[in-house]
Amino acid sequence: MTPFVTMLQFLLPGLGVTVSVTLIALGLGGCIGALMAVFRVYGNPVVKGLAVSYSVVVRAVPVVVIIFILFFVISAFIDLSPFMSGAIALGFASGAYQTEIFRGAILSIPQGQMTAARGIGMSKAKAIRCIILPQAFRVAIPSLINEVTLVLKDSSLVFVIGVPELMRRAQYASASTMEPLLAFGTAACFYIVLTLVLSRLLETVEKRFAVQF
Amino acid sequence: MKVMTFVLCGMLMLGLCLTGAASAKDTIVVGTSADYPPYEYTDDKGDFVGFDMELIRAIGEKMGKKIKIVDMGFDTLIAGLQNEKIDAVIAAMQASEERKQKVDFSITYHEIKDAILARADSGIELKSVYGIAGYKVASQTGTIQEKWIQDNLIKTGKLPEENYFSYERVDNAAMDIKAGRVDVLHIIADPAISLAEKNDLKIALITTEAVSAGQSIAVTKGNTELLDAINKAIEALKADGTLQALMDKYKLL
Repeated sequence: MTPFVTMLQFLLPGLGVTVSVTLIALGLGGCIGALMAVFRVYGNPVVKGLAVSYSVVVRAVPVVVIIFILFFVISAFIDLSPFMSGAIALGFASGAYQTEIFRGAILSIPQGQMTAARGIGMSKAKAIRCIILPQAFRVAIPSLINEVTLVLKDSSLVFVIGVPELMRRAQYASASTMEPLLAFGTAACFYIVLTLVLSRLLETVEKRFAVQF
Repeated sequence: MKVMTFVLCGMLMLGLCLTGAASAKDTIVVGTSADYPPYEYTDDKGDFVGFDMELIRAIGEKMGKKIKIVDMGFDTLIAGLQNEKIDAVIAAMQASEERKQKVDFSITYHEIKDAILARADSGIELKSVYGIAGYKVASQTGTIQEKWIQDNLIKTGKLPEENYFSYERVDNAAMDIKAGRVDVLHIIADPAISLAEKNDLKIALITTEAVSAGQSIAVTKGNTELLDAINKAIEALKADGTLQALMDKYKLL
């Protein structure tokens, strides 16, 4: 029992870091994703091109490279802590995937919705904001649950720039106790529990906004 | 949705406000890679402990500066210095020629020896470090030992390339020796002893034949002011016996 307690002492402080990095990344990614998806579907050729290249390039580059670039290149100009640049880099990466999620969701809303909204005199922007996006968000939730679990696991990459999250804590524990199986096994349990809790939360949201038949 | 956006923006702002405190003049930000006992590791409270950690704090005391230790992956330390994210690096780092082109090094604070680890029941006996060429060899990625193996064993054809295994972490390499996937591990001697004890391995050889270098503190290239102060502090700690006391405390060779 005692080695397990020691392991918890090592790992617990990392839990908060992992959760906050994940939440910031998801929030940022969600904002970027929704915006870029609207650009991709409704934008003029210039913003459409911008959105397409963002989503293509970022999805082609490994997340760890984005983290490095943000930390070492961009933060030479702006003073960002490792924690923030890690979270922002993850959010930037997740944004590209969420762009595709939201784009698919927007495209699933029947054309008639837009036509009808314009027909009763809404501007295009208002139609997108009040008619299309709320419906698209509901469609997007199942895919978003998937994205949440992916970002949660990607958050383990920020340790390369020195953010002491769960995975890095497990490495500390493994190095100083020489019990790698226990260390990484405990970390794995934490990730499973976190994933379960986060997806359960979103499932509640999904049920809350489900269409009643 | 609006509430969530508000909360997230708040978190972002908070995070942005919390930055920028690192570069105060009376604090030296020191990078390390805290997964390398006995030099640098963490205790169960998450504090950085080990020979290097106590040494850098003693150096800070001599210099009259505060020391702030930040943990990064070993491979990112040099980049961190180049980008001035950190002021100095203490991470059992040896002043190799390649590293000297990128950063400046202090005087040596600890001379090191190499060790070859093997399974206790393997019957591997070595007289020279060149003797490992007949086995499956492991070492840690990016270390001087790896470079030596590459230059002296692989490039000269003594060791077939497929018999060399590069490990990100030495404890993984030690486990693979125990499991029989590789035969010998070439690392520096100090961590080898505790690694051997905990994994039932034996030390087949301790030598200075391959890599007889010392460990130094690295600073950003051109930061001579800090380098001089660090060198002076190391000299003082050598003279007053603190360094030797720390070496004894952590059972360094």
